[in-house]
Amino acid sequence: MADRLFAGVLLLVVIGYTVIAFTVIHAPFQYDPLGPESWPRLLGVVGIPCVLYVLAKPDVASFGLPLRTWGRLAALVAMLLGYGYLFQPLGFIIATVAFCMALSMMLGAKLLPALAFSLGIGVVGYFVCTELLDLNLPAGVLTFLR
Amino acid sequence: MDAVFSGLASGFAVALDPFNLFLVLAGCFAGTLIGALPGIGPINGVAILLPIAYGLGFKPESAIILLAGIYYGAEYGGRISSILLNVPGDAGAVMTTLDGNPMAKNGEAGKALSLSAVASFIGGTFSVILMSFFGPALASYAISFSPSDYVALMVFAFASLASLVGANPVKTLLGAVIGLMLASVGIDANTGVARFTFGIPDILAGIDFLVVVIGLFGMAELIHLVEQQAAGTLKTLKIDKTFVTWKDLAFVKWTILRGSIIGFFIGILPGTGASVASAVAYGTEKRAARDSSKFGHGDMRGLAAPEAANNASAGGAMVPMLTLGIPGSGTTAILLGALLLFNVTPGPLMFSQRPEIAWGLIASMYIGNVALLVINLPLVGLFARMLTIPQQFLTPLIAVLAFIGVYSVVSNPHDLYMITALGVFGWFLRKLQFSLAPVILGFVLGGLFEDNLRRALSISAGDWTILVNSTNSIALYILALLVVVVPIIVGRRRRRQA
Repeated sequence: MADRLFAGVLLLVVIGYTVIAFTVIHAPFQYDPLGPESWPRLLGVVGIPCVLYVLAKPDVASFGLPLRTWGRLAALVAMLLGYGYLFQPLGFIIATVAFCMALSMMLGAKLLPALAFSLGIGVVGYFVCTELLDLNLPAGVLTFLR
Repeated sequence: MDAVFSGLASGFAVALDPFNLFLVLAGCFAGTLIGALPGIGPINGVAILLPIAYGLGFKPESAIILLAGIYYGAEYGGRISSILLNVPGDAGAVMTTLDGNPMAKNGEAGKALSLSAVASFIGGTFSVILMSFFGPALASYAISFSPSDYVALMVFAFASLASLVGANPVKTLLGAVIGLMLASVGIDANTGVARFTFGIPDILAGIDFLVVVIGLFGMAELIHLVEQQAAGTLKTLKIDKTFVTWKDLAFVKWTILRGSIIGFFIGILPGTGASVASAVAYGTEKRAARDSSKFGHGDMRGLAAPEAANNASAGGAMVPMLTLGIPGSGTTAILLGALLLFNVTPGPLMFSQRPEIAWGLIASMYIGNVALLVINLPLVGLFARMLTIPQQFLTPLIAVLAFIGVYSVVSNPHDLYMITALGVFGWFLRKLQFSLAPVILGFVLGGLFEDNLRRALSISAGDWTILVNSTNSIALYILALLVVVVPIIVGRRRRRQA
């Protein structure tokens, strides 16, 4: 069932891809015999039967994950999106400390070790990357770092 | 022959440069550490560290030497979590758990670790030696390849991928098509027409390779780790004082040799890396053994064969990557993408045009293999400590590394969402038993495949028969057919016998 659901969504995407390849993509002037549209058309024509096959013969019945795990995974994805959202405006150090705290606590770390770990990664990580390795990381609200 | 030795000499000049030598050692060391982490294999390690290595602004040969060191270092370190924890870092290390973990349970953990280190060393060195001779020969042959021959080569690559990787060939093929489709997003270089960009300026230049790699391999792995953590705790076995003896090595010497040969040649086949190599080597050894009753209960041969094979396949997989520009495994696909980031196009001309990269890499692999053996025998205890790192700290660390990598190279917060989305997608693919290697292979080869097809048809003014016009391409199509048909026939015959 899980297979079918996923394949169903995938089918819509692949059909969309193929329709665009057949209708939208068009070169104003044909430079080579194939042009920009033939290759995506070819991929669509190969892709659709593959998805249909998976749809017809699914082999993964279910994910077999308890609801609790799904909740954790959803929380993880939310944290990652939040981390990405705050990364630039708040700066690496604050965003990282917040993210590491949240994730390690969710995974069962105690408050003090989690705090030590998060501060270590955030502060040490920032200076190792920017000073030692010369990588570009956002300073964010801690403008004195710039 | 002379060309090989002079090439090697110039390669060693590059690899022995103090800075590059440091990178070989650092790469091997870091690779072993990463490989030893439970659940993280070479492909995830290379994927997570690639943008950071790129961001450091090294010369291309130095960066690729570092990444290759991480690659085979991780291939080496994977055995530690397999043996002591019974958790393989990736598919290539699964076979190692079959006899490695029982040996450790029987009180021979030290012996299992040292034996597998020696087997890995022999497998790795054997394949680098073969690579030094095979590589240039294949490259000088492939120089004559026309665009239509390249199309045939791609067809062969995807045929062997579909036939040999994963349980369900249709899913493998679909994975490759998804990769090819992802690669077709962006402005078409020949005509300037935008494809599938939906007016989003961030993807006009195509989806960034680093973003795809980090998303599919780094972030998907992260989600997988969090999912596993809910499942329960694992028990790590202690390292004891046992050690491999000369008598043990004499007992398994032919096993190691067979494993190395099998590993190297399976590694060369496009798309089939360590997982197929170690499985075939284990199966061969079990069938060849006079008394196979101990296999699965701690037989030394059952440990030595897959370890020799998976390290040999790491070298074998480099051969088509360096000489044809077609990666032999998922991890070498990432290395190929890394070279492209540095504006180096791997292919038959690389040995003549950029010898410092081709030969420097090969020479660094000789050094790396020796270094790995030397650091692995005494320091195995240190690497084994990696197994005790609490998961609740390891997991956020991986996410932070991935974010640092993507941000420091692309500096676009939009890509931070993109890697998360691709991570979720990759996790779904993984849960549904799609293998991710075909996706990345399709993504890396997509541009090359399309370019060669269009070039071939431009040459022939639109006549499709050009694709079957040379002996090279016909031979490759026949090989592609064989690689699909033979396993089916063998499988059917075996089922009839059973």
